[in-house]
Amino acid sequence: MQVWDGVSDARIEFEWDRQVASATTIAYMVENLNLTSGLLKRLAELSGVSVYDNARVERISHGGETEDGLDLTEWPVVHLAGGKQLYARLLVGADGANSPVRSFAGIEAKGWDYGRHGVVATLELEGSGWGGDQMKVAYQRFLPTGPVAMLPLPGNYATLVWSTTPENAALLKKLSPKDFIAMVNAAFRLSPVDLEFLHKQSAGQADEVAWRFQHKHVDPSTVPQVAVGVQEGSVASFPLKLRHADTYIGERVALVGDAAHTIHPLAGQGLNQGQGDVQSLAKTIEFSVDHGMDLGTRMSLEAYNAEQYAANHVLLGVCDKLHKLYSVGSGPLVPLRSLGLNAVNALGPLKSFLMNQAAGSGVKVL
Amino acid sequence: MKLSIPRASTLTAVRHATSTSLIAPAAAIRTFSVLNRPPPNYPGHVPLTGVERAALAIGSGLISFFNPRRADTIAAFAEVTATPYFIYRLRDAMLASPTGRQILRDRPRMTSTSLNLEYLRSLPASTVGRTYVEWLDREHVTPDTRSAVRYVEDPECAYVLQRYRESHDFYHALTGLPTVREGEVALKAFEFANTLLPMTGLSVLAAATLKPSERKRFLSTYLPWAVRNGLRSDEVINVYWEKEMETDVDELRARLGVEPPPDLREIRKREREERKRRKEAEMSGAAV
Repeated sequence: MQVWDGVSDARIEFEWDRQVASATTIAYMVENLNLTSGLLKRLAELSGVSVYDNARVERISHGGETEDGLDLTEWPVVHLAGGKQLYARLLVGADGANSPVRSFAGIEAKGWDYGRHGVVATLELEGSGWGGDQMKVAYQRFLPTGPVAMLPLPGNYATLVWSTTPENAALLKKLSPKDFIAMVNAAFRLSPVDLEFLHKQSAGQADEVAWRFQHKHVDPSTVPQVAVGVQEGSVASFPLKLRHADTYIGERVALVGDAAHTIHPLAGQGLNQGQGDVQSLAKTIEFSVDHGMDLGTRMSLEAYNAEQYAANHVLLGVCDKLHKLYSVGSGPLVPLRSLGLNAVNALGPLKSFLMNQAAGSGVKVL
Repeated sequence: MKLSIPRASTLTAVRHATSTSLIAPAAAIRTFSVLNRPPPNYPGHVPLTGVERAALAIGSGLISFFNPRRADTIAAFAEVTATPYFIYRLRDAMLASPTGRQILRDRPRMTSTSLNLEYLRSLPASTVGRTYVEWLDREHVTPDTRSAVRYVEDPECAYVLQRYRESHDFYHALTGLPTVREGEVALKAFEFANTLLPMTGLSVLAAATLKPSERKRFLSTYLPWAVRNGLRSDEVINVYWEKEMETDVDELRARLGVEPPPDLREIRKREREERKRRKEAEMSGAAV
């Protein structure tokens, strides 16, 4: 993984020395389609699971007392379109940043909007990366408008995540494929001044970028391979924000993933956090079941909240501060942060620690 | 006429092929010894080591200070002090403007042939071209006296400095300041506030060598004018002079946000006459 400062070019390389025995892949890129199909396969294996596909949740309410005297007033009831009602011993809200489950439980999510949009696209590169298909490299460049990242996919493909201002994002989405590709290649190579100018043009970026490449020489092995195509219809954008729910649990309610916390994508930690939540919640439920407890009560869920909340909060904060540190385009902060980045790059043990943390194989800190 | 600076791609490609390090910034700074000077980045380029650069800066700076007529040392001083930072800042200022980018793309050079002075003389009186050529005639200078940039590493930045150098006479025309030392110092102060090139700033120190009355005038009138206008106006390096020849000079000043300073030539003339008159009066008084 290669990360560098768009203003000063200070760079950090996360790469295991191939001689080191503990050398492992630092991170994996998983496409959403693979993730969902993997989950569905696992569900089929386990069986005993009812999947309501293509069903819309109309509302969530509390149950009442049944005729035979069951008190379900604290049980959430999910009303599906078509009249089906599901009574939940535990309702897990994995329903995204605007979680209806969270609003049902009356849990507030606090935070702020970054005033940035994440532009995503699937790109075709000129080759399968500098390391070939055996060693894929991820690239991230911090520009004053936000980081731009090129994450490898199998073959000649890569995915783009470009955090930038809403105006720039709107322009990028409007550009012709040729100009869009030129902008992507420029984003990893040209100076912020050039990029700012290019973002003001409504068309003709390809020509302008081709001219700048004659004068701006970048060692090709330090940047991703040249993008040659963009998959049609894959360019999309979403607003970036930081949100953290006040708690992950309520009576018979648990929140996981984006429903509980929304993070800036600069470190690619959103999915990791969600998976961590699920793992921890599953463990908590397992414990309750093993010990004959009611798995939906707040008491039984406490362990999940205790385990995940602080760890997620730290990560949210770190990514937030990184965003703020790198949104500065000039001034004394630029050499300072470059010095810091170079120092981390030079300090082998610290870098190994960070890589282990990112890979999830390191010591548990919190 | 176009500047024949080659695209240095072939040169850097060789360098990149041999570099195995993944650290890009290191590749950008080339270190070498005097015994092993690398090939020039563009025709006329003289690659210098850090020590040479520093020595040349100090030497040319001292000579220029004591003898402001040494255009060669002033030019060398401007080149070796333009890096780090300053020339890149100016280049970025050009890259941020559509006209500046067009200039960097075309890389036009200004000579008496490329400017067609005869045509400029035929333009109406208030145009930029006519003002410029009248200024040339009044000061008895030609556009061909500008030497080529040699000590700037980056070909594009070398062109930026070349462009600044060749546009200098247009700044005279734009502001109406004469080439006498007092006018040059005032213009250099304006240029420093506008371009931030170190040479222009250090040239302002030549104010110390002005006559006391001139220095007083500089400090009270021309320096405040230079600072205010240099900072307030747009970057004057971004004017495509070749395409502005037929523009009304006042319109261009308004567009850039430059207000013309009091006519220095006029003031000096008046002062001279005043002195002469006083002298004559004294003479005749003495005679009576």
